[in-house]
Order: sequence, then structure tokens, then C-alpha cells
Amino acid sequence: MKPAPFDYVAPAELSEAVSALAERPETSRVLAGGQSLLLLMNFRLERPTLLVDVNGVGALDTITVTGDALRVGALARHRAFETPAVAPGALGRLLSRVSPFIAHPPVRVRGTMAGSLAWAHPQSEWCATAAALDAVIELTGPSGSRAVTASDYFLGAFRTVRQPDEIVTSVELPLLPESDAVGVAFVEQHRTHLSFAQAAAVVALVLRDGAIAGARIGMTGAAVRRAREAEDWLAGREPEPAVLARAGELAAAAADPYQELHAGVEYKRHATGVVVRRALTEALRDAQDGRGRA
Amino acid sequence: MGVRGMEKLREVGGFVLPADSAPVSVRVPDAAASWRLGRREDARLITGAGRYVGDLDVPGCLDAAFVRSRVPHGRLVAVDTSAATATDGVVAAWTAADLGDEVPLVPVYLATPGSAHRPCPALAVDRVRYVGEPIAVVVGADRYVAEDGADAVRVDIDPLPALVDPGEAAASAVQLFDGLDNVVTDMEFGDPVPDEVWQRAAVVVEGVYRQPRLVPTPMEPRALLAVPEEDGRLTVWVSHQAPHRLRDDLAADLKWDPERIRVRVADSGGGFGSKSGTYAEYLVVVRLALRLGRPVRWLEDRAESLLASPQGRGQNQRVRLAADADGRMLALDLEVDADVGGYPVGAFVPGETGRAAAGVYRTPDVHARVRTVVTTTALTTPYRGAGRPEQVYAVERTVDLLARRLGMDPAELRRRNLVPPEAFPYESPTGRWFDSGRYEQALDLALELADYAHWREEQRRRREAGGAWPLGVGLCMFAERSGLEQKEVAQEWAAIDVAPGGGVVARVGTCATGQSHETVFAELVARTLGVPARQVTLVEGDTAEVPQGVGTYGSRSTQVGGSALHRAALELIEEAKRRAGPGASYANGVVTAGGRSRTLGELAAAGEPLRVEGVYAAPAAYAFGAYVAVVEVDTELGVVHVLRLVAVDDCGVRLDDEIVEDQVRGAVVQGLGQALYEVMPYDDEGRPQAADLLGYLLPTIGELPPLTLGSTVTPNPNTALGAKGTGEAGCIGTPPAVVNAVVDALGEPGIQLPLTPEECRRAVAGREAGVR
Repeated sequence: MKPAPFDYVAPAELSEAVSALAERPETSRVLAGGQSLLLLMNFRLERPTLLVDVNGVGALDTITVTGDALRVGALARHRAFETPAVAPGALGRLLSRVSPFIAHPPVRVRGTMAGSLAWAHPQSEWCATAAALDAVIELTGPSGSRAVTASDYFLGAFRTVRQPDEIVTSVELPLLPESDAVGVAFVEQHRTHLSFAQAAAVVALVLRDGAIAGARIGMTGAAVRRAREAEDWLAGREPEPAVLARAGELAAAAADPYQELHAGVEYKRHATGVVVRRALTEALRDAQDGRGRA
Repeated sequence: MGVRGMEKLREVGGFVLPADSAPVSVRVPDAAASWRLGRREDARLITGAGRYVGDLDVPGCLDAAFVRSRVPHGRLVAVDTSAATATDGVVAAWTAADLGDEVPLVPVYLATPGSAHRPCPALAVDRVRYVGEPIAVVVGADRYVAEDGADAVRVDIDPLPALVDPGEAAASAVQLFDGLDNVVTDMEFGDPVPDEVWQRAAVVVEGVYRQPRLVPTPMEPRALLAVPEEDGRLTVWVSHQAPHRLRDDLAADLKWDPERIRVRVADSGGGFGSKSGTYAEYLVVVRLALRLGRPVRWLEDRAESLLASPQGRGQNQRVRLAADADGRMLALDLEVDADVGGYPVGAFVPGETGRAAAGVYRTPDVHARVRTVVTTTALTTPYRGAGRPEQVYAVERTVDLLARRLGMDPAELRRRNLVPPEAFPYESPTGRWFDSGRYEQALDLALELADYAHWREEQRRRREAGGAWPLGVGLCMFAERSGLEQKEVAQEWAAIDVAPGGGVVARVGTCATGQSHETVFAELVARTLGVPARQVTLVEGDTAEVPQGVGTYGSRSTQVGGSALHRAALELIEEAKRRAGPGASYANGVVTAGGRSRTLGELAAAGEPLRVEGVYAAPAAYAFGAYVAVVEVDTELGVVHVLRLVAVDDCGVRLDDEIVEDQVRGAVVQGLGQALYEVMPYDDEGRPQAADLLGYLLPTIGELPPLTLGSTVTPNPNTALGAKGTGEAGCIGTPPAVVNAVVDALGEPGIQLPLTPEECRRAVAGREAGVR
């Protein structure tokens, strides 16, 4: 479990990192937290010729509220989101419920949200979160920066629109509205606390006059990380158990899980429906609690 | 040197049994009254000051990396090491041809019929028989370079068909060893059950079970550092459980006098049986070091360990159990096809499953047939429990089947069939000789600690109310052989020296890999001598300091090694009294005779070195336990939630409750791993499917259930110390208890290990479909 030989640069400026990456983009990799990349390199499944370590690039680790979004720098670690104070209101609550499910504490100390989105693991909690909230991913390459919404960003398992010469420099997560009763929840089925999710669901919903005014549902999967059919079904409906169950079924039908050890496609699809329904139920309770808080 | 205590034993077919038909009743010695101690080992281990093989800094040391087969079965056509040799920093790249005229063979643990005809070469010669089998080795300035070199070795293999399942391998025309059957050994225990017994029985139930392959996964994988010394000797640093056996095996391979080899065991990150052997890699690394004249080390990494280290379990089992209408067991028949992997190096292990077949029950007719079968998978060798968890699982699941069939409470069914205390010593129909046991007492305590009646009531309530997750209660009872039956290992060497300053050095042939010997054995000697514990130090795991020994495995250390130290200490007191003169008395490290009192240290300063040394016999003993698991099952996701786990263990006299409980806790977690998480799956082409710890799942701290430990004490009647073994109990009792509880919750007995969510969902779907 030692990597094959590779070159290594650790620039202090983003522009230098972009230039380094541009020299041989197809065989270079960006090193942020390294919690997936280094594992694969140790197995020699990834054999980059150059690692561009961005950990020394200043100002990439900031998390700030800018306008109506939370702007998360490329070096913000998973553990920064363990506290609800990381963002105002329901967004902070949601992120702090997702973060503890990402691997275990040593991984959360190193790994980054931006890195998770760049890697696009099909079972990634942050990818499901970004999909649910339709986050905006900032990609910086030789010709400058561009912003891509999550709905356009994910192409499949480990596949995104990011070009090999681009770095994910930030992620913008929209703040959740404060005026209505907003409920958020995260439910995950995993084998052990070390394991990736077999199925996970991120839910944010808004209640108005006893009905669901709108719902966002992110889920684990490959190309399909958002349950749009289920969202459409819920809009305007009263949150009865049968309504939520139907949403779970719609999400399961839309999901595109893959076969893994001890969990076939059918199990994961079924489990996705269950966790979506449970997350909706929890979000509903969260919204009702939220009204009390407001 | 004669073996002390042998006069009280008799030999039967190479096994030693106590000579008296009735066990000797013992008083628990004061020295063995349980105490609570901080562990002497902890300070260095938890502050990072431990010294493992990987921490040893030897100048000029080279690292070895192995090239392993990626093909499960095939003819080895060619191995090209030229590119490896040309790699920067690579010092040597060897294939079997470089090992000398005779390729070293991996020693078997215990010879079984058929094992000698199916030898395991240290590097593959003309055939590979499992993915992970070592084919070549590359040595470089560091592990990075060595892996670069290993990467560059080209291997050409003509594939042959894979055989993954032992039952299929037994019937297959494809032979792993040309001209030889894939069945290595076909063993029988007890007499076949007569047909009329099955026919006249009121009920006969049958269970079919699969024991998955498990990877021992100690925190520190295997590690060995071979250092050629200037005087022609060899020092071998190793993480190991049986350094003397390793020394003797290496000496036999090199045709050396064993005295030329010093095996030293550094701090160890656990063994669980997987560090008890003399592995292919060890033989190769030692030869490399000697040939190159430089220190060479091999530090197995996690990926390598999952791929190539010896595994455990791996059995297909079929059990038939007959009973009368009152639930009295009449006959038990156990059939096992045991998967020993590509080579029968550990093929003795499944014999334990057969010999122990009856378990704790007084079943009159018991028969077991155990076939050991080679397959194109990694070797199976002893893993914590080594044949015993397999036996207990097969029997205890079937006892629950019987209870269901009879509509009887599983606790009551067990109670009716237990071997009663007055029946000991009890000889089972499969030829096992049990020393002592009070099984019903353990059962009663377990039921009480679990609040069995409460959970049965809650189960009834949930079934009637509907809606809530189903709840189940599972039991497991077992007796566990601790120590060993064969004469040459039913003994241990021990010595105690007193220095003129009063310091006491205790030496013993066991070798801890996490069992707290430094604490417990030093304290045992101190208490027996009546001196402060700080005066006593323990030395083990160094063949230069400890000339002979058996080691630490089979739950034998305290029972046999502890007993040896206890008796050596008692002999030392006698020796001190003899030297002090007629009428001497001894108390608290001071011997008094003729009005003159002297400490042990003063006595040692006065004349001959004060020393006792001997080999002390202790036969196998039978620890036992009763476990209760309470679970609820999330039927939608198929997830098992263990609400309560009660483990009552009787390991005879406990020298240290806390350390015994820590042993039990660790083993319970491994048992929970077997029940719910662990398996090394192979696909139909013979490729292992779990490459890392994301694929091979271990329970983490977050998965630990509420655990209640209880104990009863039935002293070992055959040693003055009274201790039996305990290291393996938890992983024997836990899997059947948990699985029986899940079956009880779901009412679906067809479920197989491990109980993955998908497996539980299948059971739920079967139940919902009204199959049962």
C-alpha cells in the first residue's frame, strides 16, 4: 500500500496551482483532504504523475455568508460542519446533521466538502446535500472561473462536468428561508459508522397553511442525486403518512443505485425509498419544532 | 527435564487426562483471589512508546514486498523479474528458483493424514492455488521501492478452474493437487447414529449452516525482521504467539541448531491465532537476510493482510438432532465440509468441531463426520475459537430449531439436556473428556441478568399490538476446550530467579499478544511469594531468555503458563525453607529458621543462585458459558439492533476480573462481527471481494451493544491455581445468541451469516410471503 512514484508541488497561490494543473491535466490530481485520493494511490489504482497540493493556498478554507448563500472554500473540512453555528438557521441545522455521517472523526478532520463534490462518489453525503439544495459549484481553470449548479454538475458515479484542468474552488449553498416553517432532516442507512451509506436522504421542506409548500430531496445515487418526481408530488399536498410514503416510492423509482458487496440494486433502491420517507417525516417534525423556535 | 505433575495424569492416545477418575476438589488459593490492577503494559502502549517490529530501527535494513497471484488457480508458466531488478533501489528480486535447491515448505500446524502429500511451497513453483499466494519477493531500500519493484514483476499463469466452495470442491473432477482428491482428511468422531434412533424419535430437526471465512484483522498485521549477526547467529524480531515453535521451524528449514536463532517478540498489536504459524513470508525473508547478509523486514500491510493472511472458519455444516416428545435429546449428527484453502496447513482445526460435537448436552448418540477440503482460496488456520465457534454455532442454532418444533421455551429445552454437575468428569460420545461444569448455574444467571421474563413479555406485547419492530431473544450455551490435550503442549516451562537484591524475575514460555501477562503473571508470582509486586518482573517472548515454551494460543496462558508459574513459586518457597535449615517457616518473602530470619534476597546473596525451573503439566480444561441476546429488527431496512447482550462466563478461578472481562469484551465484539458484519466473500471465479476495511466490515465503537457480563466460578480441578482459559469465549457465545435472537424475531430459520441488511430483508420477505 505505497503509491507509485509521482511529482509533487505545493503552491501558495491559486494561480500557481491552476498553472501547475494545466501542464499535464490528464495525469495530475488535486490534493486537498486526500481521504479518497491517497487511499486509491496507495492501492495504485490511481497513478497520477503530479499531485498539486492546494493545502497551502491561502483563503481557501473560509466559510462565509455572502448574500443569500453560504460560501464554502475548497479547504473547509467536514468537521467544520459538525456545529449548527456553521450557517444561519435551518441550513446550519441540516449541515450539522449530515456531517457526523461522513466516515469517522479522523477523516472529517482532513476531508473537504469541495473534495467530496470533485470526487463525486455515488454514496457521498455532501453530493446528496448539494443536489438537494442545488448548490453552485465554482470551478477555476486556466481561462478563469465558472459557476455550475449541482443539477448540471453531476453526470454520474465519479463523473462531473469538471474538466481535468479545473479546481473546485468553492461551493455555494443557498440559505434556507427563515420566514416560513422550514424543516430539514438527514437519514442514512449504513452498515457501520465507518461505512459509506447504502442509502441516504437529505430533505429540506417548507410548510405553509398545513401543507407542503415545497420540498427538496437529495439522495445517494450515481447520476440521479435529486428526487424531483417526489418533490413535485409533495408540492401543495398535506403531509399525511401516505403522501410521504408515496414520495418515498417515487424517489426509489427514480434512484439509480449500483450493485455493491452485500447490497444489490434492488435492496439499495428499496432502502432509498425508506430513508426518503423517514427523512420527510423527520423534516416535518423539525419544521414543527422550528415554528416553536421562531 | 521431566515434566512435573505428569504423575497425576494418564496418557491416552497422545492426550493427557487426569489420572483420577474424580476431579480433585480444590480450595481457591489466596494467591488467586481476584484483584484489580492497572495494566503495566498500558503506560507505554497508550502513549505511543510501545515498540513494535515496525518501530525497530536497524541500520541498513531492507524492506520486502511480495508479488502475489492474482489468479485463483493455474499453472505458473513464467515469472520475469528483470524489470524489477532494474528498478532504482531494488536490491534483489527472487522467485522460487532463487530459494535454493529445495524450496522451503510451510510447516503444517499439526500433521493430519493427507497434509504431507499436498505441500505448501514458500514461493509458488509451478502452480498457484489462491489469489494472494506468494510468487516472488522484491527487496529494496524501503517499502516504496520494494513495491515499485514488485509492480514491475511479470507473471504468466495459465488459468485452471476455481473451486470456491468446499462441498463443490469435494465433488469436483478438478484436482488442486494432480492425482490427489481435494478431500484431504475424512474424520469421524463417535459411532454412527443407528437408524432406529432417528425413526423412533418424536422429532428430528435438521439445520444447514454456512460459516463464512473471516479475516483475523489484528490492529498490527504480521511483521518479521531478520537480522544476521556477525557471529553467524540470526536474530528474528517478530510479532508472534509461539516464538519457540517459530525458532524450531526456522532451524529445521535452515538445518541449523536452534541455538543459533534467537526469536524475540516485540510489542504486538494482537494475534487472534493469525500470528501462531511459520508462514511462507517468514521463511523467505529469513533466507533473504542470510543470503544478502543484511537485515530484511516484512511488514504486512492491511491490504496484504486481507488478501493473503490466513483466515478462519469457512465450513458448510449440516446438523440433525433427534428428541423425544419431552425435548430430551436422543441423537445428534454433524456433517462438516471444512474449507482449508489452497493448502492443508491448518487442516487440524476442524477436528475440534467434530470432537466437541455434543456441546454441553447429555445426548446419548453423537456422531460427527468432518471432511477437510482444499479449495482455491486463502488458507484457513486457527482464528480465535479455532473450531469451537463453528461447533457451537451448528449445535446451538439447531437446538433452537428443536425448541421451535416442540413449541418449547429454548431455555427450558436446554435446561433439560445439560450435563449435570454430578456427571463430571464426563466423557462425551465423541471421546471428549470434560473436567467440570455447572452449566445450569450459568444459564440461570444469564437469564436473570438479561431479565429474560421481561423480554419474553415485551415480545408477546409487540406481537399482539403489531406495528413495532419485532423483538427476539436468543440463547447460546457452550463449553470451550481451553489448553490442549496433546501431551507435548499440555505443559509449560517456567522459571523464577531471586537476585541478591531481592528482585524476582519470572520467566515463562507463553507469549502475550495483548493478554496482559506482564501485569497478571508478575502479580501472581508476587502474591504467591508474598512479596510486593514491584519486585517481580516477567520475561517472555525471547528464546534467549526463555529456553523453551509452547506459547499463547488455545486459551492456555493462564491455565497452563500461570499454573506453571504458581507451582514454580510454591517450589521456590520450599527451596528457600530447605536452605534456611530444619524447621524453617516462610511468610511474606522472609524465611525463618533457628531464630534467624532472612529475606529471599538475602538468601540468594548468601550462596547458590536461588532459582527454580521446571516444565509443569496441565491438561485441557473446559470453560463454559451462557449468553443471551435481545434484538429488534428494523424490518424495512433489514437492520439488526442488539438491545442487550448478556455474557456469563465460567473460566474457573479468575486472577483478575477486569482483565478477564476485557478479554471477553474484545471477543464479544469479534463475535458480533461474525454475526452481523464479517465475511471474506469470493466470487465464482475465486477472487476475494473485500480489498479493504470498507469492504471487510468490522464493528466499530458505534456498533457496540449494551453488554452485561456475569461470572460463575467452577475451579479447574486439575491445577492448584484453579484457572481455566477465557480468551476465546466471547466469539464462541455471541454469534449463535445473536442469530438465534434474530430468528426468534423474524421466525425465519433459513437465515445465514453474516446477517447483512440484505440477508435480513430476504428473511422478512420470506415471512411476508407466507413461506413459513
